[in-house]
Amino acid sequence: MKKTSLPFLWTFGFLAIALLTSIAIGSVFISPWEVWRTLIGQPSTEAVQTILLSIRLPRTALIALVGAALAGSGAAYQGLFRNPLADPYLIGVASGAGLGAVLAMSIHWPYTNLGLLAIPAAAFLFSLLTVLLVYLFARVGTSVPVTNLILAGVAVSSFTGALTSFLMLRSTGELRHALSWLLGGVSLVGWSSILALIPYLAVGLGVLSLSGQALNLLQFGDEQAAQMGLDTRRAKFIIIVAASLVTAAAVAFAGIIGFIGLIVPHVMRIFWGPDYRRLIPLSILCGAGALLLADVLARILLAPQELPVGIVTALAGAPFFLWVLRRAKSLGHW
Amino acid sequence: MLRKLMFVFITFALLLSACGTPAAPAPAPTPVTATDVPAVVGLTFTDGLGRTIKLAGPAQKIISLAPSNSEILFAVGAGKQVVGRDDFSDFPAEIKDVPSIGGMDKYNNEQIVALKPDLILMAEINNPEQVKGFENLGLTVFYLSNPKTIEDMYANLEIVSKLTGHEQETAVVIETLKNRVAAVDAKMGAVTTKPVVFYELDSTDPAKPYSIGPGTFVDLLITRAGGVDFSVAAGIKDAYPQVSAEQLVITNPDVIILGDSMWGVTVESVGQRPGWEKLKAVVAKQVYPFDDNLVSRPGPRLVDGLETLAKLLHPELFK
Repeated sequence: MKKTSLPFLWTFGFLAIALLTSIAIGSVFISPWEVWRTLIGQPSTEAVQTILLSIRLPRTALIALVGAALAGSGAAYQGLFRNPLADPYLIGVASGAGLGAVLAMSIHWPYTNLGLLAIPAAAFLFSLLTVLLVYLFARVGTSVPVTNLILAGVAVSSFTGALTSFLMLRSTGELRHALSWLLGGVSLVGWSSILALIPYLAVGLGVLSLSGQALNLLQFGDEQAAQMGLDTRRAKFIIIVAASLVTAAAVAFAGIIGFIGLIVPHVMRIFWGPDYRRLIPLSILCGAGALLLADVLARILLAPQELPVGIVTALAGAPFFLWVLRRAKSLGHW
Repeated sequence: MLRKLMFVFITFALLLSACGTPAAPAPAPTPVTATDVPAVVGLTFTDGLGRTIKLAGPAQKIISLAPSNSEILFAVGAGKQVVGRDDFSDFPAEIKDVPSIGGMDKYNNEQIVALKPDLILMAEINNPEQVKGFENLGLTVFYLSNPKTIEDMYANLEIVSKLTGHEQETAVVIETLKNRVAAVDAKMGAVTTKPVVFYELDSTDPAKPYSIGPGTFVDLLITRAGGVDFSVAAGIKDAYPQVSAEQLVITNPDVIILGDSMWGVTVESVGQRPGWEKLKAVVAKQVYPFDDNLVSRPGPRLVDGLETLAKLLHPELFK
């Protein structure tokens, strides 16, 4: 019993440290003592209160949720496609979201609560439509071979990507907005965005966490899994829907952040093995922590400037992964 | 095992959502009005997004998040009241002494809060979501819409003068600007031929340069300066079209203005582009470098842009 809960203790600890770091560090220096005092409700200066509670805390919450979503769905996609290079954007979520967002940006929405939700809503809608399109293209009779999914995903992603670029070229006024959205990252986040995100993530990530056994069986191939009693069509459908929902929601609010969905599951696999019943929940927790740390770096590397967090994940993620890979090799893990 | 995990996970999710402080109540949104002249009663304003702004008195600690706003603030005499600017604000030279708090949509929000501004002046170059974000932090934001005409620009100067308490000196500034524009308009009466003007925005690919088209401010200024916009002459309808070099050969503009000269494009390089050396404008040496900021920033320097264009296109009227 102790052995199986050890990885969760580690990842929870990692996440806790990442959360605290994200709240305590920013471009304005606030001493840890002051941070602690404000968090437990003691009065402090208005500026510190605003910075901690209205800027850092919601941002920390959103980044943690997005990291969890991306890593969880990345692990699920890697299991579904039986491909170590799979990431959450493989079947068109990112390109669809980009198209939706750029389309929404070319319209001047009224300044109302609904109008301000237009861009994330459009991104969300278009990403799901894109996945649906990919799914329909990939279907062969009643089954959905994963090779078809990947091919259709690549084709549809290229197409929507080209449409997005075309739209961006034609509306030079909104180019800046579109570019900064596509690079990913969050700046000022309202609690309403986080509340809007939570239901999708709770349901989607919950479903994915429970799909561990199905994914384990799918590793043997569709036929074998069916012979072992798995309804492969239903399982694949559920996993695709849950993972896409989760990724679409994350991208709608945070733009396109790469590498977390690809690398975190691999690192979890190297440390604690490929059992998807454990891998998905561990990836969820560790993904949250990893993206939080990347966001902290994004804030302090070029302070007072801020880097888009997608750039930090790319720059930091790749070498880190290579290091973990080397370590695993030397320890004889493969 | 999994059930335990789900329990832990759901508890965690609930804790996260319970940690939230409720968002500051948003001000009741007033419907968007297309008004160029805002309602001013005491110190209540309606901004470009239709929001109602109330100030206790003229703003003393202003953060400008657009280069055009920085120019306007200094033009109305409020330069000393600016405590923060965006990265791209570079005119007038004094603004460089004001600390920069970010750019390209990613602003250093913590520093903005730490500066305790009483007004954040934003423009159409910023997103409405950012306005909402600053509102949620309890900061006062004024969103200045882009002017559609030069007269709209005077109205913007007036608004900012009221926001900052410089009404009288701004009235003088506006008078001077009006006189300068009237002087150009008067000279335009003597114009007999209007040259076709190709305003180049980008020529990284000389076979397909970017230009401006109908509906843009540059187009308006070119027309007012006694010229004909190339896009209009060629029947192009887009605001920022990518023009084929072949169209340039056919429509053969009389003047080429290099709006991209601040990015290093020189007059000599134009003649070296394949196919461009035969153009009327190149042969007659009517290719000119131009400071794009004079026509792209919606501030008082638009008048400078107009004058410069008029002198370029009709030098004989300004002898």
